[in-house]
Amino acid sequence: MKKNSNTDKITRKDAMKKMGKYAALTAVGTFAILNPLKAQGSSIPDPGDDFS
Amino acid sequence: MNFNLSPTHQISCDKHCILWYEKSNNYSVVTAEFKSILDIYLQSDSTDDFNTKLGLTNINSSPVAHNIFSYLTSCNSFETQDILEDIKFSDIHRNTLKYYKVDNSKIKIYYDSELALKIIHPAIAYLETQPDEKENTTFDIFLKDNHWLIYKDKHLLTVAAKKDYHLIQGKFIMHLLCTIHSKEESDWVGTFHGSTITDDTNSILFVGKSGQGKSTLCSLLSANGFKLVADDISPMLSKNKHIYSNPLAISVKEGAFNTLRPLIKDFDDLLVTQLNKTKGLIKYVPTKNWKANSYPCKAIVMVNYKKESDTILENVSIKKVLETLIPDSWLSPNPKHAKQFLDWLESIRVYELTYGNTSDVTLCISKLFKQIIKKK
Repeated sequence: MKKNSNTDKITRKDAMKKMGKYAALTAVGTFAILNPLKAQGSSIPDPGDDFS
Repeated sequence: MNFNLSPTHQISCDKHCILWYEKSNNYSVVTAEFKSILDIYLQSDSTDDFNTKLGLTNINSSPVAHNIFSYLTSCNSFETQDILEDIKFSDIHRNTLKYYKVDNSKIKIYYDSELALKIIHPAIAYLETQPDEKENTTFDIFLKDNHWLIYKDKHLLTVAAKKDYHLIQGKFIMHLLCTIHSKEESDWVGTFHGSTITDDTNSILFVGKSGQGKSTLCSLLSANGFKLVADDISPMLSKNKHIYSNPLAISVKEGAFNTLRPLIKDFDDLLVTQLNKTKGLIKYVPTKNWKANSYPCKAIVMVNYKKESDTILENVSIKKVLETLIPDSWLSPNPKHAKQFLDWLESIRVYELTYGNTSDVTLCISKLFKQIIKKK
């Protein structure tokens, strides 16, 4: 029983270590999601007073 | 697991993977490690199966599956677009008429007001010609109920709120390109927000946020032996993945006037425009002997103007380039076009250019064009 408990502890420790690594690799900030424009536009997004 | 959330297309590029999601037309850039975990997730039957495959046993709960699921949900989310209602054409707004000749194409544009003229005419003023009623493509641009409407040969192209006049400019440019190059809107992979320069064989796309010196650099290069293919909007055709020439004059902001004055002939004679009070003054530098043409694009250069900086051209990650390029570009949602865009990305080189010295930068770009030939 004692031996099994030690094995479990080591396994859990290893698993927790792996989980930390995988969680860090998949956390927000590790990837980019890029949305293209839905319609063609020029690069002048500031309308200014004349166009309000 | 969650197969309906899987990316449709993917490529590996420069230690990154670029994924495309059909449902949303979103692109995603992830690390190779992220992609491996994503693949395991998509191949797993359940969360337990996924955790087992990752070796995450004997743990009550793991955030990894949740992270991947949230990521996939975000990648697939999209906003519904309004369906364009057909608004019957009326010619009561036809107050001003101008004719233009663009290479072999003739167009005429009816404007309802000075404001409508302001958003389209200055960039094509150098193409204005004498009235000629033969074989014209006709555009109508006018305001109705605080909305812009644009028609091509009496067919409504789009409607945009008054403040969103850039959408009318964009739609006009797209259909001007279709007219000049004898194409349909569905023939294009996308219109990249960037300026393209050619050495008459290949081309390079220059990208960067507004104010980073793209147009100034392209004015400079076109005054020093290179040809401008497109300023600000660079269209790519599906058929051959070439960048096609865009006849709009280069728009140069007031901050660059002193840099360009000694380099561009009769710079002070160019018309100054003020689109609105907040944008400041703009000059439009016309393209000499404009011809409809196309070139394969072999590199993307991110432009970064820094006053008095040496000219430095260095490799840059594809992630950084795409974070600049994609959010400001229109990319066709057609899966075939998305695949072509990814294939093109896989075939090109990407760089970052920092410059402040106008004499060095032309030499630097000349060398880059020579490198492109060597890499063929």
